[in-house]
Amino acid sequence: MSEERIRRDPRAERETRRARAVEAEEALAPAASESPSGRIRRDPRAERAARTGRAAEPVAAQPSAVPESESGRVRRDPRAERASRTGRATPVAPQPATPVPSGRVRRDPRVDRTAQRQATAARAEAAAPVKTVADPKFLILAVPDLEDARLSSHDKDVIGAARGLADAGGGAVVVLAFTGPEGVKDGLGEAGADRMLRFADASFAGYAPERRAAAVLAAIQALNPQHVLFPDTGVVGGDVGRRVAVALGDRAASNVQRVAPDRITRRGRGGRADFALAPPRVLLVAAEAADPVIDERYEARELPAPRTEAVPRVKDRGLAATDPATVPMAEADFIVSAGNGVHDWDAFHRVAAALGASEGGSRPVCDAGHLPRHRQVGASGTLVEPRCYVALGIAGAPQHLQGISKVERVVAINADAHCDMVKRADLAVVGDVQALMPALERIAKERRHGN
Amino acid sequence: MAIDVAVLVSVGRHPVSGRARRADADARAVELALSIAGANVRLIHAGDPGEPALRDYLGMGANTMTVLRMAPEADPVLPLSAHLSSMRPQIVLMGTRAEGGEDSGLVPYLVAQALEVPLVPGIVSLSLAGERAEMLQGLPRGRRRSLAASLPLVATVPVMAPAPRMSAFGLARRGTIEVKDVTAAADEARAAWTEGPARRRPKRIKVMKAASAADRVRAVTEMAAGKGKVLQNLPPDEAAKAIFDYLVAEGIVQAKP
Repeated sequence: MSEERIRRDPRAERETRRARAVEAEEALAPAASESPSGRIRRDPRAERAARTGRAAEPVAAQPSAVPESESGRVRRDPRAERASRTGRATPVAPQPATPVPSGRVRRDPRVDRTAQRQATAARAEAAAPVKTVADPKFLILAVPDLEDARLSSHDKDVIGAARGLADAGGGAVVVLAFTGPEGVKDGLGEAGADRMLRFADASFAGYAPERRAAAVLAAIQALNPQHVLFPDTGVVGGDVGRRVAVALGDRAASNVQRVAPDRITRRGRGGRADFALAPPRVLLVAAEAADPVIDERYEARELPAPRTEAVPRVKDRGLAATDPATVPMAEADFIVSAGNGVHDWDAFHRVAAALGASEGGSRPVCDAGHLPRHRQVGASGTLVEPRCYVALGIAGAPQHLQGISKVERVVAINADAHCDMVKRADLAVVGDVQALMPALERIAKERRHGN
Repeated sequence: MAIDVAVLVSVGRHPVSGRARRADADARAVELALSIAGANVRLIHAGDPGEPALRDYLGMGANTMTVLRMAPEADPVLPLSAHLSSMRPQIVLMGTRAEGGEDSGLVPYLVAQALEVPLVPGIVSLSLAGERAEMLQGLPRGRRRSLAASLPLVATVPVMAPAPRMSAFGLARRGTIEVKDVTAAADEARAAWTEGPARRRPKRIKVMKAASAADRVRAVTEMAAGKGKVLQNLPPDEAAKAIFDYLVAEGIVQAKP
């Protein structure tokens, strides 16, 4: 057993290590300056730079306005440094020139926050650059309903779903729009359309499912899209989409809840089951199945629309007059609603009849028995979505405002100029409801019925 | 002259208890058929003739029902089309979509294609004027569209149609069910689907793109204030005129010229 052990002397080893370190330090740090006391001052930053072989981080240029402190050291401005590093200027609010005894300028954090918020909003509002798909690998056709020549939120969801399918594989979205002669009021490019096919002929307006299906089939033949998406609405998108699917011999997926390139989810069994399957060619998409495109702009380049011919077998005789009093609240198109500010109930019923509107009411009014319970609007009543809602003497409790959250146009008449309903309204009249109701009834009778 | 009206009915499921019942839209289609003056209403079902829920339709006033006996999940379109082709009814009615299976709403379109007759979706009333049918189509927001078409036709009835009458127990017991054996192809495409319970998602409140959580909270809680016009200190007549002008400008009410 040959045992060869080297005996180590720890003290000597330490000495050697220290000497080596001093040598290295002297070699690496030529800039080290001598302090008045005679000791050599180390510059750790230079040492680190020499070790890593990387130049020391550039110290942000100090603005000349930065005052030198009493000790003569230059003060760093960490905010300016951060801004120069990130390349983004921090919005600094105009400072109110308040002289403080110490001479320092005082910042107002509230003003700063407002300025920051304004800068964020301005960035968001700045028109997004137009995104283009020059050479798409495939096409996705979306056919919005465009009722009243507007994109409904369901339409936007469908175009958003098409956008998702197209973006997943480098495709492009073609929106087929039956615009009618007056054109579309909303931008299709903002909704997410790369291309656009327009059928502006008056024969496609109104109820023309056979013509529309023929046009969609012609577009499918011309463009050969991978998928065709419709909103699954009762008598517009759902009808045309099923006609197209039957003509193509495709087993369309309806009531589609989730859309992905390889798998979709559709609802069945009376809303109690979800089926997952590979997507067929025609998809009838439910509302809120996908998020709409926001804050982005696409090209919406117009493609030549193919010519189509179809003979309608069902005659459209236009809209029939309906009695607004019999229409269920959730379906009503125009609602005149009463709150605690209304005392003259005969005048209220007369003004609703004169305007041809359905009647609604707030919870206190229905509690008091002035209107039947099924006329109550709000969180505990009906969530209504008419095109216009006239609130007579309703202050606007949060629960009531929830009930009208989807209403596009709100007219408020209230004695209190500071109530929430006046803030919510698109047109608000501050004044006495009792005096205004007969005046509104009179003018409605004069100008609607001519007496 | 009696007009043959065939109503295709299916077995529905109660949305809460899940028990078999008459399907809501199909029951409304039967109601619509029974309300047509001089109609000879025939009920047709494809599936299991022993299903007790079928008697609910007989209890509404139709005396007999034809059941095309086939396997529960087989494809009913071909047997139905063949049966209707031989029967040649003037009007075929059914609910817009079933509530117990795929619920695709495609059957009326396939039947109309097979019979080569026009299809009218979503009707809430139907009356006959000679060889023509005059119909009202239910639209969202309580609107109705007037349509006319010549017979024969296929029409679907939505859940916004008038509510069905109650089913009478005696009539349901006395009604007869004629069974006809048919061969229906199994639905092979459906075997590849996976089925699971429906996942309810919360309603979307607001669509927005926010940089931070604070922005999201602000967007949800902040009221969109200050964009509307506020009229103050106006006499009632002028205020009423301003409101009426606004309603006319937005196309809510039509003023006489």
